[in-house]
Amino acid sequence: MPEQNITPEQLKALQEKIKQMSPEELKEFQKKQCIFCQIVAGKVQSKKIYEDEKVIALLDINPSNPGHVLLLTKEHYSIMPQIPDDELAHVFMAVKSLSNAMLRSIDAQGTNIIVANGIAAGQRAQHFMVHVIPRKENDGINFVLPQNAMQQADIEDIGNRLVASLKGASEDAKMPEQKSKGIDLDDISKILGAR
Amino acid sequence: MMATKAACLVCQIVENKIPSKKVYEDEFVLAVLDVNGAVPGHCFVMPKNHYSIIEQVPDIEIGRLFQASNKISSAIFESLGVQGTNIFVANGVPAGQTVAHFTINVIPRKDNDGINLQWQPKQLSEEEMSTVELKLKEQTKNIGHFEKEEKKPRAYAAKPKIISEEEEEYFTKQMRRLT
Repeated sequence: MPEQNITPEQLKALQEKIKQMSPEELKEFQKKQCIFCQIVAGKVQSKKIYEDEKVIALLDINPSNPGHVLLLTKEHYSIMPQIPDDELAHVFMAVKSLSNAMLRSIDAQGTNIIVANGIAAGQRAQHFMVHVIPRKENDGINFVLPQNAMQQADIEDIGNRLVASLKGASEDAKMPEQKSKGIDLDDISKILGAR
Repeated sequence: MMATKAACLVCQIVENKIPSKKVYEDEFVLAVLDVNGAVPGHCFVMPKNHYSIIEQVPDIEIGRLFQASNKISSAIFESLGVQGTNIFVANGVPAGQTVAHFTINVIPRKDNDGINLQWQPKQLSEEEMSTVELKLKEQTKNIGHFEKEEKKPRAYAAKPKIISEEEEEYFTKQMRRLT
């Protein structure tokens, strides 16, 4: 979002207004503020390379490599846990096809698929997106994922916490439509910061 | 050398020949804790069938794998008190793939945790952008026909899709790039 010059009084009034909004009003407000919703609506120009009823893919204007693609949901979601299962499956089927297209059309030797949920994870826009990045050897990109051996006690503790949290999902092998629980809009504003 | 199913570490985890801390499992998907991960709670989400790269994974399994990853991401938020999560896939050695079995990383994130998935933007000319746009569009013209339904339930999971010789040749080429 571009920087806007507003006085502290105006900011305070705005924060107060946001606090009193219903979840529906808040979503509508976020949508209006969201540059990617404007791209989806065709109000802001972009280099579109794929579009269907649920998603839109465009070239990143600040690419990590030539051909770096952003895949967006047309619907406004802030983070991945808000997305319904069927829509999520569709998103990543499209990601797979885009990755294929990169290997075949622009001589990519590999691809990275990255989603960032939350500022701490590197998320910059308040609209869910998947980065699909074409890779070549020695292309200057250096992702760092350190390796740290876990203590046995931590493996049990953290593993069991995740198992407990996933129990409902794991028991249902067919995984029907399920609203993600435990994350409401309050939490999302914490994750994304009050912007 | 191309890793076969028998030699594949992930397949041995799926078959319980190598012990692991499982956090989620269904018909198509197994998720385990990475005990040597970037941060505590780092999980691997893997198809039970052996596929090397994403291109080989059938659409229906793609759906299930990322749905499971999303549930794990939610569980990480819920139970580990973190500030974010990343979904990260490395497809091919130049992208950082180290094991020849398609794997999704779900990574809990906090500020200053030593992980870096950022990049320096490259400056491209308008012409370079247009060239890459046209080339990609030429290939994306035909996508969008996703196979969302299982054609033959059960039998599908037991028997991986038979691929044509032409496809096989393409994948083998990709795998050579992988090594």
